[in-house]
Amino acid sequence: MDIHVKNENGEVTVTLAGRLDTTTAPALDKTIAEELGGAKTLIFDLKDLAYTSSAGLRCFLKAQKTMNRQGSMKLTNVSQTIMEILEITGFTDFLAVDTQE
Amino acid sequence: MFSVSTKSENGILTAALSGRIDSVNAAEAETKINAAVAGCTGAPVLDAAELAYLSSAGLRVILRLKKAYPGLKIVNVSSEVYEIFDMTGFTEMMEISKAYRKVSVEGCEVIGEGANGIVYRIDEDTIVKVYKNHDALAEIHNERELARKAFVMGVPTAIPYDVVQVGELYGSVFELLNAKSFAKLMIAEPEKTDEYAKQSAEILKTIHSTVLKPGELPDKKAEAVIWAEFCTEYLPADVGEKLLRMMREIPDTQNMIHGDYHIKNIMRQNGENLLIDMDTLAMGHPVFEFAAIYLAYVGFSCIDHNNVKDFLGISYEQARAFWNATLRSYFDTGDEAFLRSIENMSAVIGYARLLRRTVRKSRDSEEYKTKMIDYCKNTLCELVPQTDKLYF
Repeated sequence: MDIHVKNENGEVTVTLAGRLDTTTAPALDKTIAEELGGAKTLIFDLKDLAYTSSAGLRCFLKAQKTMNRQGSMKLTNVSQTIMEILEITGFTDFLAVDTQE
Repeated sequence: MFSVSTKSENGILTAALSGRIDSVNAAEAETKINAAVAGCTGAPVLDAAELAYLSSAGLRVILRLKKAYPGLKIVNVSSEVYEIFDMTGFTEMMEISKAYRKVSVEGCEVIGEGANGIVYRIDEDTIVKVYKNHDALAEIHNERELARKAFVMGVPTAIPYDVVQVGELYGSVFELLNAKSFAKLMIAEPEKTDEYAKQSAEILKTIHSTVLKPGELPDKKAEAVIWAEFCTEYLPADVGEKLLRMMREIPDTQNMIHGDYHIKNIMRQNGENLLIDMDTLAMGHPVFEFAAIYLAYVGFSCIDHNNVKDFLGISYEQARAFWNATLRSYFDTGDEAFLRSIENMSAVIGYARLLRRTVRKSRDSEEYKTKMIDYCKNTLCELVPQTDKLYF
């Protein structure tokens, strides 16, 4: 999985490509922990994310908890496959999600 | 063509709609539906599995029915018809649920088989647990809700996906864990028992530090008081009364409790520990968790040390060592007197449960039952007088 981070004056965009699972999630956790200090908005660009397991959902959950205290968080460019996972696991109830156009 | 057939189950009337409802046949369809649900006491359920299409005239029929029966529900709706309900806002007005996705397990690898179902691997990332009994839907939804709740509250567990139909049966789709249970790991590496106990205690702390709202999960103490009440009939009056009093005195807390926490339910995947079998999730004082754990490793084997070997695959000695190490890690102390007091509380609550369970529904031989009941009674008679409270 590829993780790309852009930080512009507290607006952090994390672009993910590939599969987010127990092997790759720890790297994302680490990135988030390093980058979130002072972040006002956090955007996950999931255009090229092919799959997420529970480990990935836990990353989003953790990030959401942090951002609830200091700003806001959003998942963007969510593909239909990922959207389906978010929907059936009930994650759309508490994560802000924009689907792919 | 439009037709309606009805069936009644547990006092709920279900009308199965078949065909299409449009401006041409709406009046006729309405007459048929009204006749089908006439005299229905509670709210009827419309089964839309065979409903192919519904025009605005059809929607008006549903609307009038909803006015007559405010609790009206529509189930088994196909994706196409669901879209119509969704676009017109009907899904926000009443309970409308989609048909379950149909999945075939033909040729799929069987991963495991339990008392209530068979687990198949359906693709690279998911498994399906197919329940053996036909009316498992409520149980499936309950188990999934509990797993989801635990997950969202930060307890590491596999996530449940959707509920599916597998032929005549129902199944629950879960993420595939590429994992080994602690039980398997401990059989392979008995010298690491202490290390696994330490990790097991860490997860327990995470679970117990999760605090719920009153009523959010089943209350463990209410259940335990029933065990104690049952036991008073089998114990000398003073012992029974003290047991019941101590059980009632356990503080009413809302800590999350796994309820069936043993090494077959802790999975290790790529260095990460995850829990499975969340269907016994409850809340209450953590002492109830220790009572259940004590039974799993020690109590169930009290008159036959082979039980734990059959159940968890490890020897009685290893199970005991694991129990002791779990207590040491969880309470972070080597104070033996304190740890023995925790063990005694766990044993008292545990044997109260085991006594009732053995009397009520043991499938074992009469001889085994008698021995077990005597053991529980004797142990309670010995431990209750030495115990002052059942909480820490």
